[in-house]
Amino acid sequence: MTPMIDVVFLLIIFFLVSSHLSKQENQLELNLPVASSSNDDTNQDIPRVTVNVKQDGSLWVRGREIAQNKLKSIFKSAVENEDGKAIEVRIRGSRAAPYSSVEPIMIACTESGIWNVTYAVYRDEKR
Amino acid sequence: MKRPSPMIETRGSGTDLDSAMTPMIDVVFLLLVFFVWTASFQIIEQILPSEMSSQLGSDPVDLAQPPPEADFDDIVVQIGWDGTNPNWTLNGQMVATIGALRDRLSILADIKSDAPVILDPASAVPLGYVIEVYDASKMAGLVKVSFAVNPEQN
Repeated sequence: MTPMIDVVFLLIIFFLVSSHLSKQENQLELNLPVASSSNDDTNQDIPRVTVNVKQDGSLWVRGREIAQNKLKSIFKSAVENEDGKAIEVRIRGSRAAPYSSVEPIMIACTESGIWNVTYAVYRDEKR
Repeated sequence: MKRPSPMIETRGSGTDLDSAMTPMIDVVFLLLVFFVWTASFQIIEQILPSEMSSQLGSDPVDLAQPPPEADFDDIVVQIGWDGTNPNWTLNGQMVATIGALRDRLSILADIKSDAPVILDPASAVPLGYVIEVYDASKMAGLVKVSFAVNPEQN
């Protein structure tokens, strides 16, 4: 019995860890801005495209660096893949990233018909 | 037929007890590794929802209908950047500190909390300062805060 229990445990751990890691797929390490009026991320079910903005202003989607002019096509294909269901664009921007690199994301969202845009922030504990 | 458990069978012999303990230690060790691995050392991220106006999109605009008369001017907050520090301009007037800006926004929110606020950051302003002003407007109680964008840039 013991080897079987060992193997089953290993499998359980493997699946738990791999699902945990897949959730963190887009979690590029960034120094996010702080805000006091932020909310908990409660709606996990909504289809989402996460755009990471590094300190140098480069944009990263699904682990790959992309050019600003490709944003619109990425968003449009995301909307098409979800059969027109409302999708969310999450901007995870470094607090040092220039606004000029964030602005094209918002423009691309409006042009693709995405109105649900959220910023990832850290909670400001001081207030 | 009831058989005695292996633990009882191995009792009395030190080597057998050791070998019976090994799988348990294995499992405990695995559990320990699992919990250490999955314990999140990251700071929990939260979200800041932003409302985007559909003016730039393809929403139809009825030109025959005159726009509703605004009883309160838009609150325009411009954020500048001199290379090291941000500076703020509220409806054309310079504001010295973020604290002063918070105070002014609170006063405006007391008068009319649904007055539209437009944030117009310069392109070099770091995102942290943009979010700071957005957050200050929300904390002041203003509900309609939007970002100014320049569509020519794209």
